[in-house]
Amino acid sequence: MYEFAPQITPIIDHIIDSVRSFRPEIAISIAFIGTIFCSLFADRYWKQASFSVFLIGLLAAGYLTYTQNTENIPVFFDMLRIDTFSQYARLIILFAVTIIGLYIQQYGSYQLPKKRLGDIYSILLATTLGLHLLTLTTHWIMAFIAVEMVSIGSYVLVAYFAQNKKESEAAMKYVLFGSTCAAFMLYGLSLLYGFTGSLDFSSIAQMKGLIAAPMVLSTVALLFVFVGIGFKLGFVPFHVWTPDVYEGAPTPITAFLATVPKVGAIVLFSRLILAWTASPFYFGEVTLHFLCFVAIVTMLIGNLVALRQQNIKRLLAYSSVGHTGFLLLAVLSYVHHEPEVLFFYLATYTLMNLAVFGFIMILEKQTGSAYLADYAGLGKRFPLVFTGLTFAGISLVGLPPTAGFVGKLLVFTSIFDIYQTLDQSLYLYLLIVGVLTSVISLFYYLKIPLYGFLRQASSGTIMDLSNRISCPIYGIALFFTVLLLVFGLFPDLLLDFFRLP
Amino acid sequence: MIPITHFLVVSACIFCIGLYAVISKRNAIMILVGIELMINAAILNLVAFGRYDKADYGGQVFALFAIVLAAAAVAVGLSIILMTYRKYKTINPDQITDLRD
Repeated sequence: MYEFAPQITPIIDHIIDSVRSFRPEIAISIAFIGTIFCSLFADRYWKQASFSVFLIGLLAAGYLTYTQNTENIPVFFDMLRIDTFSQYARLIILFAVTIIGLYIQQYGSYQLPKKRLGDIYSILLATTLGLHLLTLTTHWIMAFIAVEMVSIGSYVLVAYFAQNKKESEAAMKYVLFGSTCAAFMLYGLSLLYGFTGSLDFSSIAQMKGLIAAPMVLSTVALLFVFVGIGFKLGFVPFHVWTPDVYEGAPTPITAFLATVPKVGAIVLFSRLILAWTASPFYFGEVTLHFLCFVAIVTMLIGNLVALRQQNIKRLLAYSSVGHTGFLLLAVLSYVHHEPEVLFFYLATYTLMNLAVFGFIMILEKQTGSAYLADYAGLGKRFPLVFTGLTFAGISLVGLPPTAGFVGKLLVFTSIFDIYQTLDQSLYLYLLIVGVLTSVISLFYYLKIPLYGFLRQASSGTIMDLSNRISCPIYGIALFFTVLLLVFGLFPDLLLDFFRLP
Repeated sequence: MIPITHFLVVSACIFCIGLYAVISKRNAIMILVGIELMINAAILNLVAFGRYDKADYGGQVFALFAIVLAAAAVAVGLSIILMTYRKYKTINPDQITDLRD
């Protein structure tokens, strides 16, 4: 005990210094406690109390993140690392969570006016805290805690509104599949720890340990670890939960699952790939080949299976699987020192999905269905909704003049550059599959205008719909659609923001 | 002193038993038990390896956090299974198949 006595003062000083760099997360924690208290005591007098605390907390966290000093400072004994990379990712996350909070508030007010929504904001904030930690860390303990925080929060979010059979089934499948993947990841981490004696994946000790460890065993351990990350990202073969959960979950929660956890997980994954592929040893090769193989298979399966979906939420689930494959390509361009490509793609992907799910929420509210066949002939009734939805769909395919086009173009260009400098046919295959699956995706995204504008409705089914749409979701979704056009025409607006100094 | 190989063999066995339970059982609670076994195998590994890590006791700390997180995940899992039981009157995942392609 006494051997630590002389070191206590510097340790405490370090912790106090670290707290200064941890302010955005502290703001979120305070808002988390605040929303719990509001949902207990204040919601009874003013219904929006917890929602406003939620918004204030996120805005404060956004401001603190934006003004943060990001000079790659080690925080809390190297458990966290504050750098610009995580700063941008956290800004995207906070933005998306704020919008999803608005969606949830609207959804609750028209779908379940009796249900008290106070708790869901606190869960959303706890999940956001987990996502922040996910983007900040290179340490396995922290990464595992963050992955579990996000996962447990997501289980609760999916189950929170459960009114009918489908929603509870989705939650149960999600929780069982997710916990199994987390157990795999933990076992893989324990093996990695045993081989290397270090828990920081960017440390030299871990590299040395991996080089010295028997090749088969450490490959197995690496693959086990990728199971956990793969579940959060939803790449093949760990995508099997996505269609069921996306279909069963309430639409604002689906919007959450499709965007935010992917941003957090992709940042962790990029850090991992960057740390490991930098070394010329076999595990760098293993991770790189694994990444390329998974990216190819994910893009193919996601886009091909999406072709035969009739439920629009299921369709978007498979499309998000396809986009995960694409994000893995963007990770490769990050590894080759073009981080703004990854961020541009992440930001446009988030925008596109938020817009699409906003429109779907409106359609679901008007028709009470998520099946494409039920939208037949609705294009004339809601021309603006279907135009916006079609535009966002075109952006997801990656056609000009949308932001999705610029994102895909940047990724393809940077992969082609890598192919030309390294001259490995692997990258060429990646490029070919990427272009091919973009063409395939055109077919299923164009189903939306096909049903909306060209098919005639079976008579008598839609007569009782009201033509008036008046809710903030509509405005937000339309605004995002315009933003997609603006960023498609002037991509430098966003690119300059993300360019690392 | 027991050599580390023994711990590793035991934990690998527990992990496989847990995985078998997850794959084969027809009851959601038994699947959760299987998941718990898998997590405990990993925790055993961490503690066993942690003895050789005299510098910062990473394994021991990780084991503590893993126990806490596993408990949290199981609490959420059980409540979701209870909710599913109320809707379906069964917790056999093979019979709960409203969502499929």
